[in-house]
Amino acid sequence: MAEERKVSRKTFVNWLLGTSLGATVAAALYPVFRYVLPPEVAEAPTNRVLAGKLSELPPNSGKIFRFGAKPGILVRTPAGEVRAFSGICTHLNCTVQYRSDFQHIWCACHNGHYDLQGKNIQGPPPRPLEAFKVDIVGDDIYVTRGA
Amino acid sequence: MKLLEKLWRALDERYDLQPLLAFAKEKSVPCHRHDWMYYFGGLTLFFFAVQVATGILLLLYYRPTAEAAFESVQFMMTRVPFGWLIRSIHSWSANLMIASAFVHMFTVFFSGAYVKPRELTWWTGAALLLLALGFGFSGYLLPWNELAFFATRVGTDMVSKVPFVGHWLLKVLRGGEDVTGATLTRFFGIHVAVLPMITTFLIVLHLAFIQRQGIHVPEGEKPVRTRPFFPNFVLREAMVWLVGLALLAALAAFFPWELGKKADPFAPAPAGIKPEWYFLFMFETLKLLPAKVAGIEGEILGLAAFTVGGLFWFLAPLWDKRRARGARNPWALAVGWVVLLYIASFTVLSYLGVFK
Amino acid sequence: MKWMPAASLFLLALPALAAPPSPAVGPPGKPAQDTCTECHQALDDPRLQHPATLAADDIHHRQGITCAGCHGGDPTAEDPQQAMDPKKGFVGKIPAQRIPEVCGSCHSDASFMLRYAPNIPTDQLAQYRTSKHGLGLAKGDTRVATCASCHGAHGVLPASDARSPVYPTRIVETCERCHGNKALMANYRISGQEVADYKQSVHYNALTVKNDLSAPTCNDCHGSHGATPPGVASVSNVCGNCHLTQREAFDLSPHKDAFAALEQPACEACHGNHKVLPPQDSWIGVGEGQVCGSCHSASDQGAQVAAALFGALDGTVKRLEAAHARVEQLEARGMLMDEAAVQLEEAHQALVLARNEVHTANRARVEAQTSQAQQALAKAEGLAKAAEEELRFRHNGLKISLAVILVAVVALALKIREIESRSQ
Repeated sequence: MAEERKVSRKTFVNWLLGTSLGATVAAALYPVFRYVLPPEVAEAPTNRVLAGKLSELPPNSGKIFRFGAKPGILVRTPAGEVRAFSGICTHLNCTVQYRSDFQHIWCACHNGHYDLQGKNIQGPPPRPLEAFKVDIVGDDIYVTRGA
Repeated sequence: MKLLEKLWRALDERYDLQPLLAFAKEKSVPCHRHDWMYYFGGLTLFFFAVQVATGILLLLYYRPTAEAAFESVQFMMTRVPFGWLIRSIHSWSANLMIASAFVHMFTVFFSGAYVKPRELTWWTGAALLLLALGFGFSGYLLPWNELAFFATRVGTDMVSKVPFVGHWLLKVLRGGEDVTGATLTRFFGIHVAVLPMITTFLIVLHLAFIQRQGIHVPEGEKPVRTRPFFPNFVLREAMVWLVGLALLAALAAFFPWELGKKADPFAPAPAGIKPEWYFLFMFETLKLLPAKVAGIEGEILGLAAFTVGGLFWFLAPLWDKRRARGARNPWALAVGWVVLLYIASFTVLSYLGVFK
Repeated sequence: MKWMPAASLFLLALPALAAPPSPAVGPPGKPAQDTCTECHQALDDPRLQHPATLAADDIHHRQGITCAGCHGGDPTAEDPQQAMDPKKGFVGKIPAQRIPEVCGSCHSDASFMLRYAPNIPTDQLAQYRTSKHGLGLAKGDTRVATCASCHGAHGVLPASDARSPVYPTRIVETCERCHGNKALMANYRISGQEVADYKQSVHYNALTVKNDLSAPTCNDCHGSHGATPPGVASVSNVCGNCHLTQREAFDLSPHKDAFAALEQPACEACHGNHKVLPPQDSWIGVGEGQVCGSCHSASDQGAQVAAALFGALDGTVKRLEAAHARVEQLEARGMLMDEAAVQLEEAHQALVLARNEVHTANRARVEAQTSQAQQALAKAEGLAKAAEEELRFRHNGLKISLAVILVAVVALALKIREIESRSQ
């Protein structure tokens, strides 16, 4: 009887050991597995983003896109050219927008106006909007900022 | 089990593994009241293995340039699933590895295991400790954050104090006159290629010596029982490793490693720059020394003192003849306590802010 | 007679022998050459020498207009008697009363001025005559400003030249010469405090600290040549030139007609005229140091609206600050809070628009904006909560892993005990 208890105890211990070690290994491997699979956004989106699609940006229209947390504005001029600028108004940091009636960029907060070169032409903004580089690959519009 | 037996028999047929099995069964570890210290070498090895594994994982996302390093670590911490965990484990395991290495070194010293015939084991061990510190120093810079940038600047400045070759050494280390992206790339190469290569080689040697010579028993503990290496000691070591793993996971989750701000070489050094804890005792000692002593710059004297002291410690197998004979040596013990207390107290006092 | 042709030739030549009437005004673009400058530069008396030394930089002189162009006389004559001959039109020091006419004799002549620049204004004299300065001068007051008082008489530079006393950043000092003199201003029942007040304003700060040349200085509100304080009716027009959004909002408010009926200035009533300071939410109300109390009493409807407006703004501000702190803390703990930052930005923008709407004194309009802000803040708080939950999830995940490892450790211990009891 004592022998049987010993045997079943040994089996229990073996089972416990195997299971817990297996669980530990699984608990360690699961994060590694998830880590190795590439995340949704493959790269840190610091300096280059896919801002929009050409087919979704008709002439004389604009669109706000994001560089991380910061807004940028994508503009398609009445002539059809695509330009991109920082979307942060140089007056008090509101987000600018494109006005198709003015055919240029405007800030709702204090009526600041910027021309299609990003230059501040009317109202309180003291400085132009920083211009970004635009690359068009097929239908995709890529915007790059900084150096 | 049947499958394993078949596999064993197939390999044994081809490679004659029986002598290995016999050797393994014979291996034993001494038992005595201080035998807890035998686990620390393996624990250090465990933390090193964790470093290699997490280090390789980090390599999948890290970018070693001044423009992208910080952002890539930030990306890992925020957008890669469990990236925060891998990074924090890597940072904590580095510290635990060095702590474990220090404990291992002191237990070896106090038990007199460095004497003949184990001089080379001691010396390869000393080299491994220095390599571990090198790993810590080079790895610290890699996130390219404010603290790391300035700590590296101060640390590499020390190198220039070496007489004659100091400035040349500084330039080689920094990849230029100042700490720049060139330094980062260089430290990266050292951290992921040069040091791992040398360390692996020395670990193999260190372990080979131990395998060949068996484990040392401190004087005064004979006669001694032993326990088999397989499976007793291995199971116990596994327990210690699991506790180490648990500690790592807890530290990584409850005290995640911070990233701070990106390094700006033009900004003034923030207040309270200090190196990692394992360099603190040297850092505080050098700060305490007067600017000039008998016409020689205080820092040079300090570095010379550390070099001489380190050399003295390193050469213990040569000057400790008494323990080589198997006798006790209260002087050696005294030296050990002095060094231990010096390092421990200076480290703790630095954290308590006594050295202001 | 045979000597007649020769004699007539001689007679004809006589005028040529006498000093011919040379032009006081030479061709444009070529610096003037006159004996006036040559002689006066050599004089000892500083009062007489100074104008001549300034001649080289003077815009008139550089464009070919000699001293005689304003002072009369003969600019080619070597002999001072001839050069400064009243018969040749020499006037000497031009009396204050006549300065505007003298300047205006060229500057109001459009076809003349077109020789120098295509779009140069020529209405300065006409405007001046409507100004307080011009009206005063017409009544015989010679203490008022004339052209020379602001532009200088000699060494005149174009207003676009940074060294000119009428360059935007220097206009305050120029006006201050008289308008900062309290004793002088007392004669006109002007306090003389205005310039000192202006120097404390946001406009002055924008001009001198931020170097924004579009910031208003004295002439932007009062006019340069037609310098007159805006009358009550025109105050909001003046401010509204730049602050269009607020002016349009004000026009929608009950204050517009009410103020006009009471002959109260619009923007000035709350914002001041010279000492315009950054507006604070805390101004809204009828209490101590709050602007609505100048007209409204604590019990009337206006006071209630003010309280509601302040409440909407202040509540949103406090919520924004709290959300911001929470998001920052999460960022410090390693969480990605980009989306939350976007929401905070939207809330901030709605708050800016809400403050514009305050000028309508319309509760619904202000609250429309603040509720937009509150919505964005709610989203930000939701994102913060999600991040906090993720952190808690990590802690929990860890605790489970720890438990698993602990079980493994226990299992190992049991195994060791079992093995070692067997061997004993």
